[in-house]
Amino acid sequence: MSRDDTPARRGARSQRTQASSRLRAWGRHHRAMGLDSARRLVRQPLGSLLTMLAIAIALVLPAGLWLMLDSARLLDAELAESATLTAYLEPRVGEGEAMRIAEALGAHDDVAAVRLITAAEGMAEFQQALGLGDALGRLESNPLPASVVVMPRQEAPAAMQALVDELEAVTGVEEVRLDLAWVERLAQLAELGRRVALALALLFGLGVLLIVGNTIRLAVESRRQEIEVVTLIGATHAFVRRPFLYSGAWYGLGGGLLALGLLNLGGHWLATPVSALAVSYGAHFAMPRLDVAGSATLLLCSTLLGWLGAWIAVGRHLASIRPR
Amino acid sequence: MIVFEHVGKRYGGRFEALANLDFRVRRGEMVFLTGHSGAGKSSLLRLIMRLERPSRGRVLVAGHDIERLHASQLPFYRRQIGVVFQDHQLLFDRSVFANVALPLEIQGMEPREIARRVRAALDKVGLLYREKALPIELSGGEQQRVGIARAVVNKPALLLADEPTGNLDPQLSADIMALFEDFNRIGTTVMIASHDLALIARLRHRILRLREGRLVADEEAA
Ligand SMILES: Nc1ncnc2c1ncn2[C@@H]1O[C@H](COP(=O)(O)OP(=O)(O)OP(=O)(O)O)[C@@H](O)[C@H]1O
Ligand SMILES: [Mg+2]
Repeated sequence: MSRDDTPARRGARSQRTQASSRLRAWGRHHRAMGLDSARRLVRQPLGSLLTMLAIAIALVLPAGLWLMLDSARLLDAELAESATLTAYLEPRVGEGEAMRIAEALGAHDDVAAVRLITAAEGMAEFQQALGLGDALGRLESNPLPASVVVMPRQEAPAAMQALVDELEAVTGVEEVRLDLAWVERLAQLAELGRRVALALALLFGLGVLLIVGNTIRLAVESRRQEIEVVTLIGATHAFVRRPFLYSGAWYGLGGGLLALGLLNLGGHWLATPVSALAVSYGAHFAMPRLDVAGSATLLLCSTLLGWLGAWIAVGRHLASIRPR
Repeated sequence: MIVFEHVGKRYGGRFEALANLDFRVRRGEMVFLTGHSGAGKSSLLRLIMRLERPSRGRVLVAGHDIERLHASQLPFYRRQIGVVFQDHQLLFDRSVFANVALPLEIQGMEPREIARRVRAALDKVGLLYREKALPIELSGGEQQRVGIARAVVNKPALLLADEPTGNLDPQLSADIMALFEDFNRIGTTVMIASHDLALIARLRHRILRLREGRLVADEEAA
């Protein structure tokens, strides 16, 4: 069968040129199939768009949740940094004594800084926060004790707890509150959220595989005759598979781009209420945005998912197509 | 080139389409395969392409037992055989040119070389002026000739043709047969299944006659 091109007759040089021409042919086919599959998608704009939109929706939910949690983690770090103790002084303690106690607390080895909030200041803050100025203004006497906000040097929960015990022993201090519980709760909530996001990402990633797989399965079915013919005249599996893999990758890329668009749109839409809410809590919380690296990661993942979905679908399907 | 050793082929376990075929075709030979409809001509050709596997016996092509070919080797095996299919097997969503170019594209040939060879092949079957047409716009005979052009475009070492002149008028049939003879003259082994007894008798090549799956006559070239 082999014609006169026996290896022995060919020099090393011609073998090298043959290898490089084969590589060029391979690259040419990749380019041709990449373009061809893109053209096929464009020729059916509605169907392609619907598939991409389905992919986008599957990507937006986990990606959006992840984004929120990512910025919540920043917030969370900010909060932990500002973890403070509040020492409430006994009601009978006057302003002068309060200042002395604050100084004493500030001199403690484990304390970085203190800030005294006198009873009057506490009242003012309270009124402002609640917007109840007038109602409380009419009270005969100020029911709030003076307090000292203590910034600890060490923020490890155990160290903080020890500090609480020591400060409570100081005369004039009625009670020391450690507001760590809610910080911890927030951290746990964030961890929960992250896990949910991960589970969603896995689930919806599988969804993307199924969406692409089903679309590609239909495409393979509609080009069945073509596959049979090229197989008859000596096409390899890789050759047959290639256009479908590119279709899958295009679907994934398109879905990823749409998902980016949706995420930005959603971000804009939510930005105003979210920042207003954050300001009302005295926190700084900007609506999260996907940066360049994040966007690139999303696109890469979606493209790979599309490619993989196509690969699985074509692989399963090709086995069932035998030339007649 | 082709050796059949006691080859039998059953479809679905019971029906015996081919039985005890034992013959060889030498390299560079031109052979006609004839017999009534259902005699097993297409089945025999499909065995050579390894689209079917023998139920018994062995088929050797170019000295290789093709049963032993691994699935990954099959495409490369098939590229060395040019086949004209009884039902053309053209792709109707692309031009005549693209159809004929297909075997060369599969091999990754340079586009310029492809164009040159495709035009040469189309010229040989007299369809160069239809290169841009879609197969659907062609007559049955013209489609058949596109299939022939595709089979020969790769200059295969072995050419198999299943009823290549089934839809052609006598003049065109004779031209196509002459084309196959040209290929045979430059060393291609040719095997043609045909009903057209008058035509093949005139051409004076070896004839294998099948009846109900059995080889009933092997007439050497006169
Ligand atoms: N895939 C198949 N499954 C079952 N039976 C088959 C199959 N292919 C062919 N046959 C049977 O094998 C026998 C030989 O068929 P084959 O197609 O080889 O005949 P042929 O000589 O080419 O006929 P024709 O001249 O009509 O093309 C027929 O009786 C046919 O019914
Ligand atoms: Mg037949």
